[in-house]
Amino acid sequence: MEEQLVTAIMMFVIVFPLFMTAVIMYVGQQSERLCNALSLATAAATFLAVLALYPEAVGGSVVEYDLFEVLPDLAVSFRLDILSYNLILLSSFIWLLATIYSIDYMAHEHGGERFYPVLMFTLGSCLGIFLAGDFFTLFIFFELMSLIAYILVIHEETPDALKAGYKYLVVTILGGLAIFLGVIICFELGGSVSIGEGPLIDEVSPLATMAFFSFLIGFGIKAGMFPLHVWLPDAHPVAPSPASALLSGIMLKTGAYGLLRMIFDVFSVEIMQQANWNLIMAILAVITIILGSAVALTQEDIKRRLAYSSVGQMGYVVLGMTVFNEQVLTGDIFHIFSHAIMKSTLFLAAGAIIWKTHKRKISEMAGLGRQMPVTFSCFAVAALAMIGIPPLNGFLSKWTLSLGFLEGGFAVYVLVLLISSMLNAMYYLPIIIPAFLGEREEEKSGDKEGEEEDWEDEAIVFNVDEATFRMVAPMVVLAVCTLVFGIFPANIPFDLSRLAAEFLLLGG
Amino acid sequence: MPAIEHYPIIMVAGLLLLAFIMPLLYIWKRNWCEPVAIFAISVALVMSLCIIYEVVQGDAFEEGYWMGGWEHFGIEFKADYLSSYMLAVIHGVGLLILIYGIGDLKKELVEKVRGWYYTLYLLLMGAMSGMALTNDLFNLFVFMEIVAISACAIISIKEDRECLEASFKYLILSAMGTGCYLLSVAMIYMITGYMNLDMVGETMALGVGEYPLNILVAMSLMVVSFGVKSALFPLHVWLPDAHASAPSPSSAVLSGLVIKIYAVALVHILFRAFPMEILKEVPMTDIILWMSTLGIIFGSIFAMVQENFKKMLAYSSIAQIGYVFMGIGLFDPERPEETEALVGGLLHILNHAVMKSMLFMIAGIIIYSAGLKKIRDFDGIGNRLKWPMYIFIIGSASMVGIPITGGFMSKLHLAQGAIAVDMPFFVMVIIASSLLNAIYYMPIFINAFLSESKHENVTFKPVPGSMMIPVVILGGLVLLFGIYPAPVIGVLESAVESLIQ
Repeated sequence: MEEQLVTAIMMFVIVFPLFMTAVIMYVGQQSERLCNALSLATAAATFLAVLALYPEAVGGSVVEYDLFEVLPDLAVSFRLDILSYNLILLSSFIWLLATIYSIDYMAHEHGGERFYPVLMFTLGSCLGIFLAGDFFTLFIFFELMSLIAYILVIHEETPDALKAGYKYLVVTILGGLAIFLGVIICFELGGSVSIGEGPLIDEVSPLATMAFFSFLIGFGIKAGMFPLHVWLPDAHPVAPSPASALLSGIMLKTGAYGLLRMIFDVFSVEIMQQANWNLIMAILAVITIILGSAVALTQEDIKRRLAYSSVGQMGYVVLGMTVFNEQVLTGDIFHIFSHAIMKSTLFLAAGAIIWKTHKRKISEMAGLGRQMPVTFSCFAVAALAMIGIPPLNGFLSKWTLSLGFLEGGFAVYVLVLLISSMLNAMYYLPIIIPAFLGEREEEKSGDKEGEEEDWEDEAIVFNVDEATFRMVAPMVVLAVCTLVFGIFPANIPFDLSRLAAEFLLLGG
Repeated sequence: MPAIEHYPIIMVAGLLLLAFIMPLLYIWKRNWCEPVAIFAISVALVMSLCIIYEVVQGDAFEEGYWMGGWEHFGIEFKADYLSSYMLAVIHGVGLLILIYGIGDLKKELVEKVRGWYYTLYLLLMGAMSGMALTNDLFNLFVFMEIVAISACAIISIKEDRECLEASFKYLILSAMGTGCYLLSVAMIYMITGYMNLDMVGETMALGVGEYPLNILVAMSLMVVSFGVKSALFPLHVWLPDAHASAPSPSSAVLSGLVIKIYAVALVHILFRAFPMEILKEVPMTDIILWMSTLGIIFGSIFAMVQENFKKMLAYSSIAQIGYVFMGIGLFDPERPEETEALVGGLLHILNHAVMKSMLFMIAGIIIYSAGLKKIRDFDGIGNRLKWPMYIFIIGSASMVGIPITGGFMSKLHLAQGAIAVDMPFFVMVIIASSLLNAIYYMPIFINAFLSESKHENVTFKPVPGSMMIPVVILGGLVLLFGIYPAPVIGVLESAVESLIQ
């Protein structure tokens, strides 16, 4: 493909959603249907445009494009390489599904005319982060996305949501400022902030250490890394479910992406090892994994449990960045894919359950699997993938990660993965099993006297009352993806991850 | 451009002259006051833009403008990069405030003093232009006095107890500042025998060895004097009362422009009158740096506990003027080539002028429309006063320093400058202050849009377009300077370069 065409498509996928934000905002005041249609069209067009870049990215070419200079030596520039491509492909795909899901979900909620423009704006700025050609651009889009996502967090406008939103806002600004500091130091030490120019900081100095910690704090906050995860379990559950799916599925990954870029483009593998920074990250990641999974056990609210599970899963991703061999990195990037797919499925399914039954407590969900079999099947598949049962994609990422850890001589990390898988099983299975096999609450309290005669029938009775097609379809697609990307021989995400890992290890 | 070398004097003299015609005009043709004042400031704005253009492109101002053949005394107007930049800021923002004031003052002032308001306003504008342009210490003193008196009067023109008290406090402290200045000028005259800045600078360089103490005292008095006038912490005590109680357009012009012009004058004098050796030996920039740091942190902390919205904005001004001084303080005389911080400080003059006058105007709109002054009463007003609160979001984003707003650009430069002179601690200060700003600005608009409204019974008066349009324009400017600051920064880099050589 010609380079100009590639640049044009790159700019299109960022600018088009941002531009459509304004259109949708204007149209949204007139007609709800048109607003839905336009949002869907925007997400679909963006996804198709991203798909069109596939041959270019897989071909291994790197496309750079400077838009304009804001200040001397600080330009807004964009860059497409295989790692960016992985993430934009993933984001635009999940975004499309979440948008389809939103149409029915939001029809019963207020403020759709606010929701869709924000959804599209965050899509554009999220792709902007992944396609940024330098850390300054990355920082600008990062701030825009994080701040605008605030509107998604507080969408319900309940006191809880407002409180969580305020926490989110303060922490986000703190994170933004930390990245700002990192970018400034980087600029001072390296004289440039471009991605892909080799290491910008090539020796360990107090300022370099400061830069490392600023980036770690800034991106770590977004990635929900311990001890900066405090905002996440509050903010993700209060958002509307499609937004939670995106917050947990994609926006957390912007933090992980930032950390990857920090390791391979600001610093280099040698510096990370020389200063032992990768050990710091690894320790934090291990704590994150154990703590996230352990706290998830104690959560009663289904969406809160999912949010804590995200904390634990992001721990895997961060842990995977700290061992520098191809196997681990492949597993790491593949886990970004896996987790995005699994967690979006789970949040979308949880959203459908809440939407249909207004039940958020896990203890109230017994027997609901017979009312909403498809939803719960999707939930179950994704939950099993989370635990790491073969042949689902969660298994594949854990398998790859573990092999890599063993190869790199970090057998203890494998143990951490195993413990965490067990914890995952402990908090996911108690949702799935009672949902299919347990008694429904209404039935339980309904006729207590006739209990003994009836129970035999109950186990078989399916009173199917599913969510609408447009809500179920995205879930099913995602659930099928967890399966396909686990066993299918031509595993596109896995191949892409391996290419990206090779690319990073060759020096970004 | 015809007669461009006369523009500075025409501007200053014209504004001052017109100021005294205003009361007459008010008696004779009452409706003409506003259009004439607006016309005058617009002409001044056009002139200052021409001056900037000429300074950047041509050479009409290389020589300076000598008045009345008194070369020997050195009474001179000199339009350099910094002063022409400041002129454009003064007249650009001043024009918008004036337009805004037409609607607002009808409510805030009694009928009979309204003509006088324009007198004071034009006096203030003329004298500030004079301060920016003059190259002569004594004329600077004269203009400073005019600014001080008219600034006090523009507060006390609203005749209530608070305003009178505040303006009296302001008058006393500002007189103290002027006293220090006069003393300092006397010492400089004693050492050098000149008043003209260029001549002072040349002579002082020769006298460093001979009069070290005098120069030192003169310099400290200078910093104290301008510190008081521009509310550098801990000399800020007059500011919150004065800026909060004044009529909203006055608050906007005081917080937005008046405190900045003193900072510009200080930069002029510090870098042009005093030889660089003195700055190297005396830690004056460090002192300014630490005072500004305290101002940035404490201004924000005080602002957090305020209930009155305008008072909060006033305390926030103390923090923000701290950024301007931080730019001066981060200038390291040992490394004069690292000028990012100074550029950032001077850039913040523009950015803060734009955003703070905008925020004061929004405060004025809320008072005008609903009569609400306390922050906790603002819950739910976002649905009634939609556009002012949208613009408020832009303003607060800029205060916090979020990308694509002007505030971000100033902070970026300041932070770069701090790192360049190896003082990363001050980047932390900037970051901490951004966070503090976020903590007190953000809840206001969050509550305004999302909290339950308490104002079912309050009638919201419609806001006239003449009040809304300036606010919208300023909001646009905040974004413009955040996205495309290159021309301004170009001017400022040349300004700093010419100051330091």
